[in-house]
Formats: sequence, structure tokens, C-alpha cells
Amino acid sequence: MHSTKPNPNEIRQHEITGHEIKWRCFGQRIALTFNKQVIYTLLLLTSAVVLIAIWSLFTGSYLLSAEQVLSILFTQQATGASDDVIWLFRFPRTLAAILVGMMMALSGAVLQNITRNSLADPSLVGISQGAALAVVIAIVVFPEFDQSYRTLLAFLGSILVTGLILFLSHSKHNHKPIRFILLGIALSAFLSAVTTAYLTYGQLYKASAALGWLAGSIDGVNWQDVRILFYSCLCLLPLLLLQSRAMAIMRLGDTTAIALGANTEVQKYSLIAISVALAATATSVVGPIGFIGLIAPHAARRFCRSGVASHLLLSAVIGGLLLLFADIVGRRLIAPSQLPAGVLTQIIGVPIFIFLLLRKQARSHL
Amino acid sequence: MNMQSPNPAFFSNKNSRVLGGLLVLCAVLFLLHLAIGAKALSISEIWLAISAFNSNNFDHMIVWNIRLPRALIAITVGASLAVAGAIMQGVTKNPLASPSILGLLSGAAFAIVVALGWFGIDSPLYTPWIAALGASGAAIMVALIAHAAPGGLTTHNLTLAGAAVSAFLAAIITLFQLSNEDDFDDLREWLSGSLAGNNLEVLSSIAPWICLSLLAALLLANKITLLAMGDETAKSLGVKTTRLKLQLMLCVIMLTACSVALVGPVGFIGLVIPHVSRFFVGADYRWVIPISALLGACFLLLVDTLARVVISPAEISTGIASAIIGAPIFVYLIKVKLG
Repeated sequence: MHSTKPNPNEIRQHEITGHEIKWRCFGQRIALTFNKQVIYTLLLLTSAVVLIAIWSLFTGSYLLSAEQVLSILFTQQATGASDDVIWLFRFPRTLAAILVGMMMALSGAVLQNITRNSLADPSLVGISQGAALAVVIAIVVFPEFDQSYRTLLAFLGSILVTGLILFLSHSKHNHKPIRFILLGIALSAFLSAVTTAYLTYGQLYKASAALGWLAGSIDGVNWQDVRILFYSCLCLLPLLLLQSRAMAIMRLGDTTAIALGANTEVQKYSLIAISVALAATATSVVGPIGFIGLIAPHAARRFCRSGVASHLLLSAVIGGLLLLFADIVGRRLIAPSQLPAGVLTQIIGVPIFIFLLLRKQARSHL
Repeated sequence: MNMQSPNPAFFSNKNSRVLGGLLVLCAVLFLLHLAIGAKALSISEIWLAISAFNSNNFDHMIVWNIRLPRALIAITVGASLAVAGAIMQGVTKNPLASPSILGLLSGAAFAIVVALGWFGIDSPLYTPWIAALGASGAAIMVALIAHAAPGGLTTHNLTLAGAAVSAFLAAIITLFQLSNEDDFDDLREWLSGSLAGNNLEVLSSIAPWICLSLLAALLLANKITLLAMGDETAKSLGVKTTRLKLQLMLCVIMLTACSVALVGPVGFIGLVIPHVSRFFVGADYRWVIPISALLGACFLLLVDTLARVVISPAEISTGIASAIIGAPIFVYLIKVKLG
């Protein structure tokens, strides 16, 4: 919140003592203030992501020595099975895990900011439920349907449901977040009930197949998926950072935000659109992985004091780290079978989160 | 102010009318629930079955052994889940809070899954007690974590610890379902919440606890209103917030554990009914608690009647039906009441 402090002397003081680094461009349109501590934490976490990503390339049920992996990575001769293992399976999978984790965390952080509710996550706007319903109906009712359309179907499902929630929650008279939250609750409950009905009364083997996808797993991503994830991340993250000052104002409540000159309606819907695009893309590729969107923003708050923009970046890195680690554990724990990353994110993430909760007070209420 | 005269804001005509209307509605739905089913019964027949029971009469047996326990369970479970949800939302000041956020529902489901999968206990006789044990275990864990965190039993800590613990337990349940398809098949129905297959013995062993907790909730209701205004305000008005929170948590645990024991995890009622009652009577918890109880009872009676009729002789599980029927009503109410 340093960037919004009104006293110019104080800002200058910070610059002199060197606690903060300011970065402005486009005539203050982007003005990011980074605490030094935030930068150190970001660097630390990013290097952790890189290290674990390297570990992820070296580990798996198909045994490869370190030299083999290195030679495959750097010579790029497309020969044999070991080459395929690295380039077709481990590499895209690693990248996808990082990207999906980042996108879900960002989406959750944005939703928590604009609804001002610490329990908000992408499932609040029906993303997970819409995707789940579309895919479960496809698996249980039309089992002959082509699995390669699953990504598209999940994406359409989540966008449709979110559109419905936003359409219903649009009102000329009442702009309070409570209305949006309540409609989200109602529609999500309805859709999960329909999904549960299919799972409960559908044939057992089909229901089990659907459950596997619902648990969220990253095996089976290909380069095409990674490309989709990467490009959407590349487009949407700068857009989010552009909006970070607006978000900081909106966190103060609608009345204050309007008084400070924010066009809350426009900003709210554009932020929701970005967050939906992030979560829907991620969900369509790997299935509903809900927990990261809820937990990563809270964890980021416990690492160091931060403004809105740096909090977004921290959440993203923590999300990527968590999902990548969960995916590796899921691959190794009962190898050669695999456990879905969505489930393991919760099993690994919860103890870590509780540890953070017990150890540290949230550094800011951002 | 004259302390003898009733507080005019409390005894408002509008709120009393809502209360009276709901009582009548509840009675009507109760009779309908008894009358409608695979075999339709007339009201006079039901009255005879209750007033002059004849064990040779087949219709009387239906009323006493199947419909009456089910209707009573619907009333108790609906009321207790709604009140538990109302308390949770008051204590945490979060409209997304419900008994499931304290880990109560997933705790109960987890205990049942563990008992069946690892110890092979599948007798319906033990199910309620195992569920209650799991629910209280999860809630105690959440409370301990929140208590040990910096700041203590604050709203924020409680909500976050609850969300984390429920996510953890839910993940383990999913893992179990994925690894063990046959046992999962046995549990599918229970995990979606069902009113079928209970009897009066189970209900009568659990009912005293529910009544006790409901009474406690009614007595504490005025303090919940203060707590919902924020910890600071409540403290400055003389409320011992930590003690009050512990008492309320105990209430919520008892209510939820008993309900889960009877019907399995049903999430929708605890989340939505308190909001609906607030639409009608505002934020005063002296009204929100009783109105939530009645609304919850009415709602579950209605849902269960429909769930038995729509695809009779088969029936839809209660948890699924309550969300499918309740969500459209809720959306309509939001449109009407919140503009």
C-alpha cells in the first residue's frame, strides 16, 4: 500500500533509505512499488521453481541418468524412446504444471481482491463447476464422444456458466459484492448437484472415469496445451498488472473507490473477465484444481509485506511452485502409477499452509 | 426506557407475521409429507394412524415406520443445519461460511470413508456415531489451529484453518474413491446425503442433543448480533468474545454432527437458508435463528416430498435434490429482494 500513501515526503524517504524500488512507465499508468524484501522473496521462490523444474526433468518412472538427460536436452537429436520421454512427456508436463499453478493463483487473488472476501476462489464464479459439468455429462452420457474435444468442452462449459452468473448478477440498482457472491453460491450449488447426480446414478465405471478427470491431473498434456497456457499467461498477466492500482482502490470498498474516482463497474467486470479467462484456460487443460486459487494468495501474504502488484506476482510464483511440486510427488509416490496433482496439491499444500498460518501473522491485509 | 415494555423493534408486526406464516407452512408441509408418496394416504387416515394406531393396518404401518420418522428427521435436520449455518455466518461475518467451512461435513464423510475402507465397518448401526466423531474431530482440529495461530480465535484464522482442513480431508476422500472403486460404489449414495433408511430409534437417541443445542442457540442469539458487528464492538459492549465463540462453536459442532449422522453431508441448507431468513427479518439474530430453523425445516420437508414423488418409486438423494430445487428459488429471491 506504499504507493497509495498521500504523503510525498514519506515516499521520498523510502527511496533514500533504499527499502523500495519504484518502477514507472507509460506516464504512471504502470507504477509498481516493490519492497526490497518482496524482490528477494520473489527471486528466492523463482529459483526454487527453476530448481524443482530441473529435478522434474530428471525424475520419473523411466530411468534416465543425468548425462543422458543433459545430452538429450542440449543435442536435440530426435532419436529413441528416452528422447520422447523428455521432450514429449516431462518437459511439457513441467511447464504446464508451473503455468497452471500460476494462473489459478492469479485468478484466485484477483477474485479475493474484488469481492473483498478471503474465501473467494475460481469456483465462486462457477469455473470449476461449469467445466466439471460439461465433461462429466460428456463422459457419462456420451461415452463414445471424442476425448480430444475435452479441453474445448471444459472451456466452453466454464465460460458459459460464468457468463450466466455474471448475466444474472447484473443489476441496475444494486452493485454490492454480496449479491454477486450469493448468486455464485446458488449457481455453483446447483451445478455441483447436477454433477453429483450424474456421478451417483451413472454407471460405476463411467463415474470412476469422470472422477479421475475431476481430481485434476497434469499427465497427458502436450505442447499444444503448453502453448495455449503460455500465450494466455503472456497476454493476461501484463493486463492484470496494469489494473493493479485500480484493484488497490477497489479493495477499500465501493463507496471509497467511487469517491476516489474509480469507475468501479467497468473495472470490476474487466478484472473478472481477466480472472475468468485465466482460470478457465487452466481448468480446461488439466481439470478443476481449485485449492491453489484459494490458498496461494493467503500464503503470499504471509511471506512478506507487499502491495497489490507484488502480491499478485508472489501469489503466482507460489501457485506455480506448489502445483509443480505436487505433480512430481504424484508421479513418484506410487510409481509407476500416478496420483492426480489436484488431490496432491491439497494434501501437500494444507500442512504447509497451516505451518505458515501458525508461524506468521499476515504481513498486510492486502 | 421502561424495561417492562417489550422492545418495539424486536416485536415488530412484520417479523411476527413471518414467524406465524412459517409455522403454518411447516404444519401443512408436514401433513403433505406424510400423505404423499408411493402410496397416497388421506389426511383422515393419517390422523387415525397417529391417534388410534392399529398394528394390523398396513397404512398405519407405513405412517409409523416409514413416513413419520422421515418427516421428523427432515424437520430436525433442516432446522439444525440452517441454525448451524446462521451461527457460522454470524461468527465469521462471512456470507460464504457454512458448517462445511469448519471442516464438519468433510470430517464426518472422512470418518465414514475411513471406517468402511480401512476397518471394514459398514453396519448402519454405527454410522451416525462415526460421523459425529469425525465431525467433532475435524472441528476441534480447526479450532486448535486457529487458536494457536497469531491473533488467536479470530474470524480470519478460523475461516482459513477451516478451509484448509476441509480441503485436506476432501482430498483424502477423493484419493480413496479413486483407489477403491467397489467401496466407492457403496458410499456414493451416502456421500451425496440421503434421508432414506432411518428409523425412530436413531432419531430419538440424537434428538435430545439437537434440542439442547437449538435452545442454546436461541439463548445466545442476541450476543451473535453483537458479534456480527465485529469483535471490537462486541467487546466494548461487554461480550466475552472468546468464550462466546467457543460456546457457539460447540453448538455448531453438535448440530452439524447430529445432522450428518442422520442424513450424511448436505451442504446447501446451511449455506443458503440463513441468507433467505435475513432477506425476511434483517440482521437481528434473535429473529434470524428461529426463522432459519423454521425455514430449514419447511425447505427440507418440501424437498424430501418432491424427491420421493418426481421419479417415484425411485428417489433422488436429499443433498442433490435440495440444491437442484433450492438454487432456482434462491436466485429468484435474490432478484426480488436485492434488486
